[in-house]
Amino acid sequence: MATIVETKDLLQTVIASLAGGVGITVVFSVAIWGTARFADLSRDERPLAAAAAAGLAALAGLATLAGVVYGIVVMASK
Amino acid sequence: MSSDVILVIVVATALAFDFTNGFHDTANVVATSISTGAARPSVAIGMAALLNFAGAFISISVAATVAKDVVDAEVITPTIVFAGLIGAIAWNLITWSAGLPSSSSHALIGGVVGSAVAAVGFDAVLAEGLVGKVLIPAVIAPILALAVAALGIGIVYRIVGRQRPGVVTRGFRFGQLISGGLLALAHGTNDAQKTMGVITLALIANGTLGADADPPTWVIVASATAIALGTYSGGWRIIRTTGTRIIKMDAAQGFSAQGAGAAVILASTHFGYPLSTTHVINGGVMGAGAGKRISAVRWGVAGNIVVAWLLTLPAAAAIGALAYGVTAIFGDGALGPVFVSLVALSMIAVAFNRRWRRGAPVPVS
Repeated sequence: MATIVETKDLLQTVIASLAGGVGITVVFSVAIWGTARFADLSRDERPLAAAAAAGLAALAGLATLAGVVYGIVVMASK
Repeated sequence: MSSDVILVIVVATALAFDFTNGFHDTANVVATSISTGAARPSVAIGMAALLNFAGAFISISVAATVAKDVVDAEVITPTIVFAGLIGAIAWNLITWSAGLPSSSSHALIGGVVGSAVAAVGFDAVLAEGLVGKVLIPAVIAPILALAVAALGIGIVYRIVGRQRPGVVTRGFRFGQLISGGLLALAHGTNDAQKTMGVITLALIANGTLGADADPPTWVIVASATAIALGTYSGGWRIIRTTGTRIIKMDAAQGFSAQGAGAAVILASTHFGYPLSTTHVINGGVMGAGAGKRISAVRWGVAGNIVVAWLLTLPAAAAIGALAYGVTAIFGDGALGPVFVSLVALSMIAVAFNRRWRRGAPVPVS
């Protein structure tokens, strides 16, 4: 059975799927959290905190895009 | 001359299968975007068709698995490949008519295995590849997508649960343009490669290509075009099943389901596993529903889908074997494939006519 099933490949598939699927979903939700907080804090006239939230949202948005591009590049590299 | 005629019929049939694959499968890719209101149906389907086309050029790992790891290319003939394709197309149309999102990929592999067994016996099947690269990933992938989506949506609700719903919904609808696009790209790369693999297998069986050859460029371009056209042409009926009948989704769930599906398909494609994208996306949808509330998933509908999944391999294999048996009655020449092609085309025309008389499928608003 061990020779029929490439355990290492399957395990890597599981890990990559978990890391990619959950990771990107979570990072993107941080971007949305930052955007929502930015809107609230701006309304409350707290510019410093609003800027921090906007920065976090931008970083998380970029990280999401980077994750997507990385995933495609890794897949295409074989 | 006769073998060249058969090869042309096989290539045409494989491309027809690819078209039905897009027609049948890719609707699942766009269903979540449409049902959450992230994209209009015409935009979602147009984008999916384009990204299906692009995805077909990304990798050839899955094509290599289909061409070399499932059946023994040394004993396969173009006629066996043809009969397998007929089995897959017939099963695709039957499940399409019933509105069930079954697997085109498993139908293809089942059809080819069935016709190979009917022609040569079980020696033609490479058990190692069939079990290790098709059957086990087929079981693991939907469960993995379910787990990834459930875990993802659970964390998402913790992060954004207390924020204003309007901002969150708009954000995830925007995100669905990315996750839906990624899923369409993933679908294109995994599913179009199966057709590339089958055409390559036929070219190897015919002696046109060497045993270790990769798919030629014209095969890649033709497969990409066929699946993209299929995607653009249909699938409304199955959109309803996936997009609204399994669970009623919000945009965050749609994003999570699509992200999970794309991650599982892309990772599997990297290792050459010919997955069912239908199974994976439905697993993701169920996970996104169950992650919010177990009872949100309509498990009865999900159960019907599982039954269709279980039936696909043996049913397509049986039809593939039958198609080979009918073809073989006419001998080794081109007459058998020509006759079976004409019968298949007539049955397709009848199926479409019956669907048309029952009324056009209703788009999801």
